[in-house]
Amino acid sequence: MATETALEAQAGTSGGTPHGTPFGVAKGETGFRHWSALRNAAILLVVWEVLGRFKLVAGGALPAPTDVIIRFWSDRGDYPLHILATFQGASLGFLIGNGLAILAGILFAVSPVAARLGRGLNVAIFALPPIAISPILVLTFSGMTPRVVLAALGCYFVTMSATVTGISQTDRRMLDVVRAYGGTRLALLRLVEIRAALPAILAGLRIAAPAAVLGSILAEFGGGGRFGLGAYLIGSLGRADPARLWGIGLAATAMALIAYGIFALIEARLTRSTRAVTVAATPPGIRSEGSLVSTIAITLASIALPFIVWWLLLKILGTPAMIAKTPAGVFDYLFLAPSATSAQTRLLAALGQTLPMTLIGMAAGLAFAFALALASVVRPGIVRSFMPVALVTQTMPLVALTPLLVLLLGRGPSVILWITISVTFFPAFVTLAQGLGMVSRGALDVVRAYGASPFTQLRLVSIPASLPYLFAAMRLAVPRALLGVMIAEWLATGTGLGNLLNQSRGYLDYGMIWTVAVVSVLISVLFYQIVIVIERHVLRKRGMQPAA
Amino acid sequence: MHLSLNRRHFMGLMGAAATMPMMGRMASAATPFNFQASWINDAEFAGYFLAADKGYYKEAGLELEYLSGGPDVIPESSIIAGKADLTLTTPDTTIKAIVEQGAPFKIIGAQYQKNPIGIVSLAKNPIKQPKDLIGKTLAVPPVNVISVEAMLKISGIDRAQVNIVPYAYDPTPLIKGEIDASVDFTTNVPFTIKQAGEEATSFLLYDFGFTIFNDTVVVTEEVLKAKRKEIVAFLKASRKGWEENLADPAAFPKTFADTWFKGTGRSIENEVYFNTAQKPLMENPKGIFFMSEEAIAANIEALAAVGITAKREYFDTTVLEEV
Repeated sequence: MATETALEAQAGTSGGTPHGTPFGVAKGETGFRHWSALRNAAILLVVWEVLGRFKLVAGGALPAPTDVIIRFWSDRGDYPLHILATFQGASLGFLIGNGLAILAGILFAVSPVAARLGRGLNVAIFALPPIAISPILVLTFSGMTPRVVLAALGCYFVTMSATVTGISQTDRRMLDVVRAYGGTRLALLRLVEIRAALPAILAGLRIAAPAAVLGSILAEFGGGGRFGLGAYLIGSLGRADPARLWGIGLAATAMALIAYGIFALIEARLTRSTRAVTVAATPPGIRSEGSLVSTIAITLASIALPFIVWWLLLKILGTPAMIAKTPAGVFDYLFLAPSATSAQTRLLAALGQTLPMTLIGMAAGLAFAFALALASVVRPGIVRSFMPVALVTQTMPLVALTPLLVLLLGRGPSVILWITISVTFFPAFVTLAQGLGMVSRGALDVVRAYGASPFTQLRLVSIPASLPYLFAAMRLAVPRALLGVMIAEWLATGTGLGNLLNQSRGYLDYGMIWTVAVVSVLISVLFYQIVIVIERHVLRKRGMQPAA
Repeated sequence: MHLSLNRRHFMGLMGAAATMPMMGRMASAATPFNFQASWINDAEFAGYFLAADKGYYKEAGLELEYLSGGPDVIPESSIIAGKADLTLTTPDTTIKAIVEQGAPFKIIGAQYQKNPIGIVSLAKNPIKQPKDLIGKTLAVPPVNVISVEAMLKISGIDRAQVNIVPYAYDPTPLIKGEIDASVDFTTNVPFTIKQAGEEATSFLLYDFGFTIFNDTVVVTEEVLKAKRKEIVAFLKASRKGWEENLADPAAFPKTFADTWFKGTGRSIENEVYFNTAQKPLMENPKGIFFMSEEAIAANIEALAAVGITAKREYFDTTVLEEV
């Protein structure tokens, strides 16, 4: 889910926004905007070229763009096979993930009970850090399957929630017409609801497409196999050739962008409009109806469901118990086995390093996103020029940048913080910018009429009015902050959960690999739930509705 | 799961369909044999590539499926999961898994008599022996943490005196001086460092007391019982491939350029360097893969230094006797 909102911002969509997003510019300015974007890109490339050419950054660890191109050209024979393999994993995952997502979305839209039952599973899928899941997928499945599964997981949440939103926004009157003619539930779905949801579903697919590419690449890192951009990147690490790594990273970025572009085109063709879909960070089924007993029963069942699915999957696959741990297996490893104390000690020590950094990183990422969103209101031009760089940070595999990052930032807390900010800020920024853009003009005019400075306007009107978006941004930031910290720990610092996961592989400590995966998902879900509780409390006090 | 299962089923059906009309020939049909390598396709596996290309596995009645490895592939997982019949491992992790988790592994041979893993540093900031590491920053891949801890312990160095950071197999931080040394194959990295315009210096962990094999040939006890004949055939064909390859290390890497090495992004000169450097670490008068009693004892002793109590019974030398 790295690119969705990023691309949303780049596309400058303004659907549903009364006064345009910070990127929406009046039509007459479009030509100028294109020129200034081109000019800024050119300046950026020249600066990059100079920095790279004269080895000004980290003693030459940042290659000049021309070096990257030259290297790409001399490697051109290698690329087709790798791109093809990544394409296969991503497209199969895209088909499976979105197929399931649309079916699930329909089910959740039609049946509120199903939506409430599926909530635990949906939140878990939304919050899971792919870096922790990838190793257990590789242990459980073989061949291309880990890539397909991770790509499918990357697609599922976006498309599922887009489907639910689309169906629930169906025009009531059209439903009434079909009902009046005696239409069955199925007829309603077929004739009205799915058609009405199509634009939303297509918008979901557009966001899911780059996520599928990134999911496949991530699984290639750990999955073996000779081909795929991820495999190529891993294989090229030992070459001490930053230009090659950047070439592969940029090829991955290009694939993600093309995947996005293709679906944007299809969407424009089919619906004659591009709908803005901000990343939904709320699974369906949050409202509870019915008696307290049934609410509690459904909530418990919804929490149990992810564990049941996990257990069933392993039973069906028949993967040996030594490498594939069931929920009982993880419990046994962590609490009953003779090595349980040692496992607990190592886990707690790792959590003690990871959790504080996650909170700090999340706060820093949100602060950065907020500052950027404010800047985009005050100085939209500067923020727009920053967007191409921001986009690359969202789609470029961080492994390719590790040498550069450790050379620039060392291997201490600062490298963790920067990696976490870069992983966290973008979706949060787009959501916040959207919130600030939707502030009522009338309210702003009032304070302006009293001569308020831009800062006072923000403080008195814009910030309080966009609170729902701040919480939506927090919900997006929670799982990504943990992901960012674990990536940094794994690649650079050798501390915390990220390192524990990595080292457990070296020790063949399968129990710990599963434990880290499960604990990281649980932490993500827990943080997410905490944000939801605070959000409900604060917004209810102010009489506001949650955003997205 | 879908993919591989479907593919396997599909292949199975195809195989069945192909053999059905000619049942008489079934006896000579090759047996499928899956081999999980421990790294991406490079000269480390040249002997197997050669044996496959020259048809030595086919002659031995095997239909070899070669599974490439990589930094994040745990070879042992493949044989536990039944994806592979035989694999190459680092003996320390394998033995630790046997001791601590009761993993049903048997070590039946060793590709490297001397572990090629060593400490690589730049000649201008040389680390020539374990003692030089004190106060320095050493990058270690997660799979080699045990080995490094053992080497430090044997050399009487407190682990806390060395700043150990993760190594992501990219020598750039070493070349740029961000780290002082890294743990890697000494048969490979010095070439890369030279390409980047620096001189490398290195020493083997083996030469400082950590006397273990590497790329130990490992099977599960179950497969050893069920497929002993095939395992012997595999070792025999592989030994033939290796002997031919090592006779002239410069001869064969180029023949794999468009097949085995395709898409790895490594140069053939690099593979020739690797192939030449690994020769003395592999050769044994009793043949490739041979494990002498003294060498096994040295392995057990080295692992004892890090508290891993290996036993002689983890090593099974009887399979190679049949080769």
